[in-house]
Amino acid sequence: MENKVDFITLKNGLTVIAEQMPNVNSIAFDFRIPVGAAMIDDKYAGAASVISDWLFRGTQSLTSRELIEKFDYLGIHHSGSANTSCINLSAVLESGNFASALELLAQVMLTPRFDQDQFDLSKETSIQEIVSLDDDPRQKVMLRLKEQFYPKPFSNNPMGTIETLKDLEASQAADIYKKNLDLSRTIISIAGKYDLSALKTQIDSLFSGDYANHKPDIIPSSSGAKYTHEHHEGSQLHIGLITPTVQISNPDYYNAVAAATILGGGMSSRLFTEVREKRGLCYSVGSKYQTLKDYAGIACYAGTTPDKAQETLDVIVNEFSGIAKGISQDELDRAKVGLKSSLIMSSESSSARSSNLGSDFYLLGKIRSLDEIKQKIESLTTKSVIDFIQNNPLNDFTIFTIGPKKITPPSNN
Amino acid sequence: MEFKHKTLNNGLTIIAEKNKYAQSAAVGFFVKTGSRDENTAISGVSHFLEHMMFKGTDKLSCFDVNETFDRTGAKFNAFTSEENTVYYAAVLPEYLEQVTDLWAQLMRPALRDDDFTMEKNVIKEEIAMYKDMPQFEVLDHARNLHFGQHPCGFSVLGTNQSIDDLTAEQMRTYFKSRYAPNNITVALSGNFDFDKITSLIESKASLWTTQPAPRKLEYFAGTFKREKIHKANLVCEHICLVSPSVSMQDKDRYAASLLANIVGDDSGSRFFWELVDSALAEEASMQCDAMDGVGTNFTYIQTSPEKAEQVTEIVDKIFTKISIEGITENELVAAKNKMLSAITIKNEVPMGRLVELGINWVYLQRYVDIDETVRQIKSVTVKQVNDLIAKYKLTDYTSVVLTPKE
Repeated sequence: MENKVDFITLKNGLTVIAEQMPNVNSIAFDFRIPVGAAMIDDKYAGAASVISDWLFRGTQSLTSRELIEKFDYLGIHHSGSANTSCINLSAVLESGNFASALELLAQVMLTPRFDQDQFDLSKETSIQEIVSLDDDPRQKVMLRLKEQFYPKPFSNNPMGTIETLKDLEASQAADIYKKNLDLSRTIISIAGKYDLSALKTQIDSLFSGDYANHKPDIIPSSSGAKYTHEHHEGSQLHIGLITPTVQISNPDYYNAVAAATILGGGMSSRLFTEVREKRGLCYSVGSKYQTLKDYAGIACYAGTTPDKAQETLDVIVNEFSGIAKGISQDELDRAKVGLKSSLIMSSESSSARSSNLGSDFYLLGKIRSLDEIKQKIESLTTKSVIDFIQNNPLNDFTIFTIGPKKITPPSNN
Repeated sequence: MEFKHKTLNNGLTIIAEKNKYAQSAAVGFFVKTGSRDENTAISGVSHFLEHMMFKGTDKLSCFDVNETFDRTGAKFNAFTSEENTVYYAAVLPEYLEQVTDLWAQLMRPALRDDDFTMEKNVIKEEIAMYKDMPQFEVLDHARNLHFGQHPCGFSVLGTNQSIDDLTAEQMRTYFKSRYAPNNITVALSGNFDFDKITSLIESKASLWTTQPAPRKLEYFAGTFKREKIHKANLVCEHICLVSPSVSMQDKDRYAASLLANIVGDDSGSRFFWELVDSALAEEASMQCDAMDGVGTNFTYIQTSPEKAEQVTEIVDKIFTKISIEGITENELVAAKNKMLSAITIKNEVPMGRLVELGINWVYLQRYVDIDETVRQIKSVTVKQVNDLIAKYKLTDYTSVVLTPKE
C-alpha cells in the first residue's frame, strides 16, 4: 500500500514532490507560493488574500474569462487561498488532462495578467469576505483566536482589515507578489496517476527560468491578550480556546496529537462525554491539534446558549487540566486506531494526499511515509503521553468569545 | 466494481458495490423517513430520533456506543433530511464487521426516558446554532414558504416549542412505524466480504417485523410567495429563491442538474460572471434538489444590503434571458466536464460512493453504476435542457430575504 514518491529538483531550487497512486483515475496538485501573511508588512495586510483571487483573473496570454473557460472545459476543479506562510493554488481533475492543467496553473503562477480593473474586483471581493464574517460567528471566533494566540507576524490574518484593503493599490500588490515569488522556496506537490518521464520534461520546460531570490526576515514578537469578548446579538455564545503545545517537528508531536484526540477528538472523547453527553450543554464541542512551522496549539471550539456558557467553559478548562492526572489504556488505544484510520483513509484521496505531501515538506523539509507515521503512532504508550502532558501542561489558555454575553476566564489567566 | 444484493424475508435490502483496490470500506443504513413523514404534533421527531439512536440499546449505554465506535477508528455519523435518515461509517476493512454489527444493534434502540430528556437540551442547542447561521436559516425559511402546507416544507429540526412538547412515547410510536426492515436499505461500498457481512446483518435483523411504512406523494409546484424578514444582528443580506424542478425519478434528473450548474456553479456559471466575478455578491449559487415525486431549484445569494436591489434585478435578467434564449452548446460541454470530473473524484473514496449508491437505490429501487451515470450525463442535449427551462420556469419563484435593513 506504500506508494512511490518522486522528487524533482530544478537548478533554480524549485522542489516538486509527486506520489504515484495506481488505483485512482484522478490527479491533484498544489503550488505553495511563499507569499504568506507573515511575510507582508502590516500596512499591506490582506494583500495575500487579494492576490490569491487576482491570480485567477487572467494570465498574460489569456483574459480572465478565457482562463476560467479553459479550467471548466478541462473539468479542472481549482482554488486559490492564502494562509500565514503561503498562497496555495490547487487543482484536481481526471488524470487524462493533467499536462494541460499543469501548464495552465503554471501560467497562473508565473505570468499573471494583473490588470487594474480586475484588481479592483479582487479587492472588493476580499472586503466583502471580511464583512460577511460578522454573519458567521463560528468561523470568526476561531480566526480571531489564532490572531490572539500566535506571536506576530505568525498571527497575521491573511484577510487583513477593511482599512488596509481600502488603501491597497494594484502596483503594491503586484510588487509584493513579484518580490516574494522565489521558486527555491516554492513547493509543488502532486498525487495521482502520471507518467514520470513526461512529468520531468514538462516541469523542466515550465519552471526552469530565473525568479526572485528573497528570504524575508521574520522576527517573532509577543502574542495578544488572554481573553477577549466581542459582543454579538446572536443566539449562542461561540467559545474558542487554545493552549500551546509542541510543533510537528518536535519528537513529542505524536504524544501531543494523541492528547488532543483523547481530549476532544471523537464521540467517546472527554469533552464530548462531559460537555454534551453528561450535561447536554452543547451540540458542537471538540478539540484539535494545529501547527505552524514553529508554533502549535490544541484548540477547542464550543457553541452554547448564553445561560450555559460559563458552565461550558468551566467544564472544558477542567478537562484540559485534568488530563495530566492520567489516561487509560483503552482511551489511548481508541486514539491510536482513530489516528491510523484517518491516515490511511486520507491516503485514498488524491487531493488530500497532495496537500499532505506539500505541508509535510514545508513543515519538516521531508516527506513522512505512511509506514513511518503508523509506526510512530503504534509506539505511543500511556506513560509517554502522560509524561508529555505533565512536562507540558495544557493550562495556559488564550480565549476568544463572540456572542450576547461575556464569561469569566479561568483564574490563572 | 462488482455489485451484489440480497433482500431478506422481512424486506430489509442489502446492496453492495465492491472495489477490491480500496483501502477502506463504508457501510450505511438508509432509513426512508424524514420530516415530510411527520405531522405538526411531532415536528422534529425524525431528527431527534436520529440523535437518540446513538443513546444505545437495552444492553448498551450511550458511553458504550461511543467507545465501541471509536474503538473501530470509524469516521461515522448520521444525517436527517426531509425524506431520509442515514447512518454511516467508513473504516479500515478489518473493522467493517465490528462497526456494521454495532449499527445493526442500534437500529433497535432503547429510547430511554432519561436519555430523551437530556438530549432535548442538545437538540435545542443545535436549533440555536443554526439560528446563528443565516445562510442555513434562509434556506429553511424558503423551503417552508415554498411548500406551504405540503409536507416537504416541514422543518427537519422543528422548533424549541415542538421539541419541548414532544414526548418519548410519541417518538417510540413514530420509530415503530418508520424503522420497519422493509423501509431500510443497507448499502456497502469499498473493500469487504459480501457473504460474511450479509450473514452478520441477517443474524441481527431477521427478527425485525415488517410494517407498512407509506409516504404521501403529491406533486406541488410551490406557493410562489415572497417574504422579507428583518434581523438586526446581520450585516449581509441573505436571499433564497425556490422554483419547481424535476423529481429524483424523472428521466431529466441529470439535465436539471446540468442546468443548475450552468446557472449557478461556483466557477464559470452565469451567476459567477454576473455576480461573483464582478464582486456584486459574496456568494451566488444554484442547486437542483430532486426529491421523492417533487423537486426544486434553490438559489442562494449573499450580498451587501446596498447592492441587494441591483443583484436581484440581475438575477431576474439572467432567469429571463435563459428562458428566452436557452443555453449554449459550450456551456453544456463545460458543465458536463465539471460534473464528470467531480464524479470521478468523489467516487474514488468508498465513503463518497456510499451515499450515491444508497440514495439511487432508495429512489429508483435499482443499481446505477458509475458508467451509467456518466453515460446519462454525456447524453444530455441542449434541446433537453431548453425544454426543461420551458417546463419549469425559473422566473416563477418563492423568495425569502433575511436583511439587516428596516
